[in-house]
Amino acid sequence: MVELKNVDVHYVDGVKGGVDALNDVNIRVNDGEFVFIVGDSGAGKSTLLKLLTREIQPTGGRVFVNGYNLTKLRNRKLPYFRRSLGMIFQDFRLIPTLTVYENVAFVLRVIDKSKKYIRQRVPYVLNLVRLNDKAKAYPGQLSGGEQQRVAIARAFACDPKIIIADEPTGNIDPKLSYEIVELLQDINECGTTVIMVTHNHDLVKYFGGRIINLREGSVAFDGFIEGE
Amino acid sequence: MRMSNFGYLVRRGIGSVFKNTMMSIASFSVLLVSLLLIGLSVIVAMDIGIIMSNIEDKNEIEVFIYLDVQDSTLTHISDAISSNPNAASVKFYSKEEAWADYQEKYPDKKELFEHLPRNPIPHSFRVTVKDISKISETAEELRTIEGVEKVTAPYDFASALVDIRSTLSIIAGAMLVVMIVTSVIIIYNAIRSSVFSRKKEINIMKVVGATNSFVKIPFFIEGMFIGVAAGATAWILTKTVYESIIQLFEEDKTIWEIFGLVNVIQFDSITWYVLAADCLLGALLGAIGTIISTGKYVKV
Repeated sequence: MVELKNVDVHYVDGVKGGVDALNDVNIRVNDGEFVFIVGDSGAGKSTLLKLLTREIQPTGGRVFVNGYNLTKLRNRKLPYFRRSLGMIFQDFRLIPTLTVYENVAFVLRVIDKSKKYIRQRVPYVLNLVRLNDKAKAYPGQLSGGEQQRVAIARAFACDPKIIIADEPTGNIDPKLSYEIVELLQDINECGTTVIMVTHNHDLVKYFGGRIINLREGSVAFDGFIEGE
Repeated sequence: MRMSNFGYLVRRGIGSVFKNTMMSIASFSVLLVSLLLIGLSVIVAMDIGIIMSNIEDKNEIEVFIYLDVQDSTLTHISDAISSNPNAASVKFYSKEEAWADYQEKYPDKKELFEHLPRNPIPHSFRVTVKDISKISETAEELRTIEGVEKVTAPYDFASALVDIRSTLSIIAGAMLVVMIVTSVIIIYNAIRSSVFSRKKEINIMKVVGATNSFVKIPFFIEGMFIGVAAGATAWILTKTVYESIIQLFEEDKTIWEIFGLVNVIQFDSITWYVLAADCLLGALLGAIGTIISTGKYVKV
């Protein structure tokens, strides 16, 4: 579960005197939900994601993610909190020198999973994103859509409670974008909460569901819309 | 951490040594030179210590006794000299013995000696000292013993020896500090460049929940691997260089023996200690360089 209570984020800027990135934001996302977060550039989407991954701390209010109170979380516990999240980025962030298989296995090694578990889990998640036949390929040999599917497999490999996707369709063919969201919906159906930040209004209109619209650092809309 | 995952990190660390070839070669070379110089200077310093003590052994204070002292007084004098804290050994040199040696030394003056009414040479004691730097104080103390007429000691030679030794220690110490600092700086740079080349990977590791130690282990392995490799190579080079130096002196052994250059350390007797010290010091320098470079750049 994700909960933001009266959250403010104020960036200090020596010249302008500071910027209010988020203003009294209250959001609650229950387990198993699929949420789109939309908004223009500078609306506070990136700040919101940084709060959820505890890259930054709020200047006011409280943030709870997966039972962790992020405003009080100690640095040495941060890695264990992050293991409960799966992150997907616009630029995929795959390691170019590792194969598809190794990229996925890599995160399982990071969280100290056994060899046996890795040998079973990696083919399973690669099968889920339909990339079993590309296991030995390097990221550079794949299309944008395929690279993002590897990134989804990697995020899902650790069996996280929440997947946070930051503009996952931003760098890929518009036609393939639908495929990526469908994949995330499949994962959501397995019980994983999915929070997806996007610019792509067509995509949001097409799929529908819960939408949170940020405008100038505040929640302008939080509700459900019907898909097309 | 599981052994299989630790093994994976070790492989990645070693792999990185060969991936960042230029930086690894630079660090390896600087560390190699440092460890070689450190090793050689330590062994040579130990040799100088041995040589100095050889010279010190030959470096005697002569204590001359008044001609008319009785044998009972001689015992007292001998006891007084032996009780001096800086006296290493005390040897009695009787006037008869000295006279015989003297006559033997100057056979052409035999006629002159025959006309002397009695033996003009006094009894004396030959005293070697433990600490050559205190030779003048010791000589002064011995001179105050009752029955002692005169004391002679090689003051200038002693102070020259002390000067040589302290200058050598200062030079060696300064060199060691410079070499150690240079080694740490070069390792620091090598690891930092490795950290930068793997920035993306580190970033992903942090995002998926790697602990600080997990991120740092490969860099430690990389730094320490370079250190140990340089240490092992330095050991072989130290052996070769040191043995060639010794060989150089061996050819004119008799000349050097005069200067006390005998009983110097044979490399074979300390070879395993040198290997262990080189590898440990190399690994330590590698680890220190890694701690500094990753402490700053690898933080979750």
